[in-house]
Amino acid sequence: MEVRLEDVWFSYDGRRYVLKSINMEIKGGGLHVVMGPNGSGKTTLLKILSLIYKPTRGSVIVDGRSYWDLGPAERDSIRQHIVYVHDKPILLRGDVWYNVSLGLKLRGFNNYDYLEELIKRYGISELLKSSSRSLSAGQRRLVSIIRVLALKPRVLVLDEPFNHLDSSRVKILLEDIIAMAESSLVVIATHYVVRELRDNAVKMYELVEGSLRG
Amino acid sequence: MAEPLVDIVARSIYISLAAALIAFTFGALISLLMLVTPRRLSEMLIGVFDALVGAPTVVVGLIVYMLIYPGGPLGFLKLLYTPTALVVSQALVALPIVVTLLYRYFEQLWSDVKELVLSLGAPAGKVYPLILRESPPALIAVYLIAFSRAIGALGAVMVVGGGIEGLTSVMTTAIALEVLLGNYEYALALGGILVMLTVGLSIVARAIGGLVWR
Repeated sequence: MEVRLEDVWFSYDGRRYVLKSINMEIKGGGLHVVMGPNGSGKTTLLKILSLIYKPTRGSVIVDGRSYWDLGPAERDSIRQHIVYVHDKPILLRGDVWYNVSLGLKLRGFNNYDYLEELIKRYGISELLKSSSRSLSAGQRRLVSIIRVLALKPRVLVLDEPFNHLDSSRVKILLEDIIAMAESSLVVIATHYVVRELRDNAVKMYELVEGSLRG
Repeated sequence: MAEPLVDIVARSIYISLAAALIAFTFGALISLLMLVTPRRLSEMLIGVFDALVGAPTVVVGLIVYMLIYPGGPLGFLKLLYTPTALVVSQALVALPIVVTLLYRYFEQLWSDVKELVLSLGAPAGKVYPLILRESPPALIAVYLIAFSRAIGALGAVMVVGGGIEGLTSVMTTAIALEVLLGNYEYALALGGILVMLTVGLSIVARAIGGLVWR
């Protein structure tokens, strides 16, 4: 899968641009790391790459086609291959099992084997019946990460995935990210650039005040 | 001899239940319409409704009175000094708070659920069933707040209802009248019930709301 941003600009209020003339290409597999200080536009850039936000100007080309010029059915069809983990996890009313299996349910998958494997691997089995409102920040993040990993996506986009995680979970997640990057595209925005990420990244980007330095 | 306390309480409750239902129905429609209007216009409208939340209820009563008094444009309906006039005026008193609460709630919920669905690579149409699933506790909380606001209104119901014993006398008007007549024990009993109802409902609404508002 190939996603290309061509001269992408983005503004929330129509006056100030948080992204300026971004040109970026990710394709095949591998780990891409986006770095940058707070407020540099990393989250906005990742949401555009994940096909959640439409750029104010410029094009998002997916496998040679301009994504935002396609019809709703074609957009849905393309987007099923790209998943995104929010910097601030969004959990719905209900227990942890409902939230962690939501992606599979919404996508109509009936096989929960890999999800159950992930639940054990990340050690949240005892939380499954807990209310999503009662979780700590780290637990909320784990739920949001596991529910997208269970989808085995072709493109995985992670926004600050290591925030609030303890060191043992960071280690497991790093292993999973590196393993996934062998067959899928993984894009990660983080200020927590550890040696494992640096060593395995096919490309690293630096975002400064809305402009990209590749 | 004052009207039996239970009759006044029952009349107050059913009039305010009806008023809250009307305010809730129209408020929900208005807030949903505002969500699909251009942002600048909806922000202007929500500013107006925000300001109306604190409008004196006696002025609302005056406006309704000018509409329904025998010489007014709706005078032919013969609503003045009837329970229907109380329902209409209480509904207008409660409407602004319903609109402002529901608009803010739906705006946040829509944004969160849409981002969640898209981030999981699911079809955009899955947003609607999730919103329906998430909404009920918030809707119940807003209805209770509307009821609480309606049943506590004095000025509006005094102007259009006149506090006629056995017909339009409700708790607020009865308290005002009984104080004037020197029946302090009766007024205090009614006041106690009114406070218990409004404070109790506020606590319940806040508890339900706490489960849903992020």
